[in-house]
Amino acid sequence: MSASLALPDYRTQSPAVAERFQRLKERPVVLDVRNLSKRFESASGSVLALDRVSFRAYRRELLCVIGPSGCGKSTLGRIIAGLDTCSGGEMLLDGKSIDGPGPDRGMVFQNYTLFPWLTVRRNVMFGPEVSRGLSATMAEEEAQQWIELVGLSRFADSYPHQLSGGMKQRVAIARALANRPRILIMDEPFGALDALTRAQMQSYLLQIWKNVDVTIVFVTHDLDEAVYLADRVLVLDAHPGRVRELMEVPVPRPRTREQFTSPEFVAARQHLEELIHPPLQVQPETLPLGRMTVVGDDVE
Amino acid sequence: MDGDKQTARRRSRVRVLGTLPPRRRLVLTLFSFLTPLALWSAISYLPFIWHPMVRVAEAGDASWFSDGELVDGDAFAEENARIRAADGHLATGARANPVFLPPPHAVLRALVTGFTTPPARPDEPWLHQALWHSITIIFWGFVVSSVVGVPLGILCGALPATARLTEPFVEFFRYLPAPAFGALAVAVLGIHDAPKIAIIFVGTFFQQVLVIANTTRRIDPGLLEAAQTLGASRKALLFRVVVPGVITDIYTDMRVLLGWAWTYLIVAELIGVSSGITFFINQQAKYRAYDKVFASIVLIGLIGLGTDLVLARLGRRLFPWLPSAGPRRRLFYGLRRPARATGVAAASALDTTEAASVEAKGAASA
Repeated sequence: MSASLALPDYRTQSPAVAERFQRLKERPVVLDVRNLSKRFESASGSVLALDRVSFRAYRRELLCVIGPSGCGKSTLGRIIAGLDTCSGGEMLLDGKSIDGPGPDRGMVFQNYTLFPWLTVRRNVMFGPEVSRGLSATMAEEEAQQWIELVGLSRFADSYPHQLSGGMKQRVAIARALANRPRILIMDEPFGALDALTRAQMQSYLLQIWKNVDVTIVFVTHDLDEAVYLADRVLVLDAHPGRVRELMEVPVPRPRTREQFTSPEFVAARQHLEELIHPPLQVQPETLPLGRMTVVGDDVE
Repeated sequence: MDGDKQTARRRSRVRVLGTLPPRRRLVLTLFSFLTPLALWSAISYLPFIWHPMVRVAEAGDASWFSDGELVDGDAFAEENARIRAADGHLATGARANPVFLPPPHAVLRALVTGFTTPPARPDEPWLHQALWHSITIIFWGFVVSSVVGVPLGILCGALPATARLTEPFVEFFRYLPAPAFGALAVAVLGIHDAPKIAIIFVGTFFQQVLVIANTTRRIDPGLLEAAQTLGASRKALLFRVVVPGVITDIYTDMRVLLGWAWTYLIVAELIGVSSGITFFINQQAKYRAYDKVFASIVLIGLIGLGTDLVLARLGRRLFPWLPSAGPRRRLFYGLRRPARATGVAAASALDTTEAASVEAKGAASA
């Protein structure tokens, strides 16, 4: 714990960061979640997955949602997207109550969910065509911009199975954004990617977000990812899922990967870690370990 | 060490799941046909295996043999014993198989000459006419069934209410044997082709609805969710996601179902005025021309297999989004693989790096 003594408090913000948060909070509220609850009924009884969750996201904010497994963070994302129903509470998008899925809330899933029978271009055209009723030519023009934005122009006529995981997820992002949603919900979007590609995708996402007027709700279990990407991090508790804290990330923008070792970054990360990983209930030393080794080759 | 080597060899030979190298596929495919053929040849050409009959060459003093007749082996021996006792002229002959098991070469000959031999009676059809008639029966039965069955199956799969309204009855009906409707079909539809098409329809339709409904239900729900968040209406979900999402699997189902339709053909053609290949087979059996019977059966198999091959080819043309390196379901898919081996290798490498995909794309467009 001596390291933590050297770290700044995660609440200390440099003047630039403080000013940024000031400006952020002056922007209009895009998403207002009020006392959202979700109860799952099953044969063995009912489980309260989300318990009166409330938070707001401002325009062009990047809000990360983290929590231990089973805290209902994915459920929260799905409810906002309209794919699950809530058991109580309400959600306002730009001040209007929302119910059911709609093109104003785009979603990016962990397993890409690209339409395998459509080329990259036609995947991206899907939203503009079905929800905005654009003609094929206009949808194609629209799609072209988004494909260029995610840097996949050369692959516009490829089918999804010809792309790598990272490229598929970029197509999925382009497809969601081509619909011009007010918010983009991302449910552990980079969870299926290898570490290198994930790092690359995180930087891509920041790059894309810089050029697009969209609020992002990013669900993840990766603390580094949350601190690296987010303006604010919504920390949920498990069983039942409650809001533990809404943390402001003290790391200045633009973010770079070098900041991973900066004092603010480490402090923020460590704070999240303490929130999420409660002290171990069973100390490893007290486990009644039997020896399973053959020779006395001790590892310590 | 020796054991290690052996395990390694065994691992490379017998594979659990996965795909085989193209050469091995080809060899195994050939063997799947050569093995039964070899068995048949052995029984036909090696007298010591079976050959219970004797083909009489010279009747000699035998009382009831005639030259060229096929008689039971035991009876032949008995008769010769009797002749020997009477010090007469022995009958000669060679051991042979019963008439219902012609050797491969006779069937092959019948296969070739079948198309050139005019029918025994002028009002009977030629072999090719009989076959063509059968094909048209199958075609119309299957088309009529599919025109109703495929849309209904997709609707059942996509809309739970439609499924509830339809499937319980279909479940019940599919257990009713199609031939049971023969008499009814004749009474309603006459004695010519219509009742036969109806039997094919009854045999195919009810299975088709259920199979296609189940295939439709297996669509990745993630695709539907993605489409919903993109603002798809229910109509768009059905026509722009469900239908294209399951069309490839339905196509495969249809290939299997077409095979089932063929199995109803023989029964269907017995109804009313017997026709087509069934009539041909029955006629040849009456003339005891079993080589022609076998030839007709082989022809049905060849037509079925050929159709499936063509449909498989067509499928790859129709659905360019299917990964070419993906699992191949049918045995003949790999026949011409070697020529494309490079493309497959590039495609399988695609998933790993972007550079590889660029290359492969270049190769694909070139």
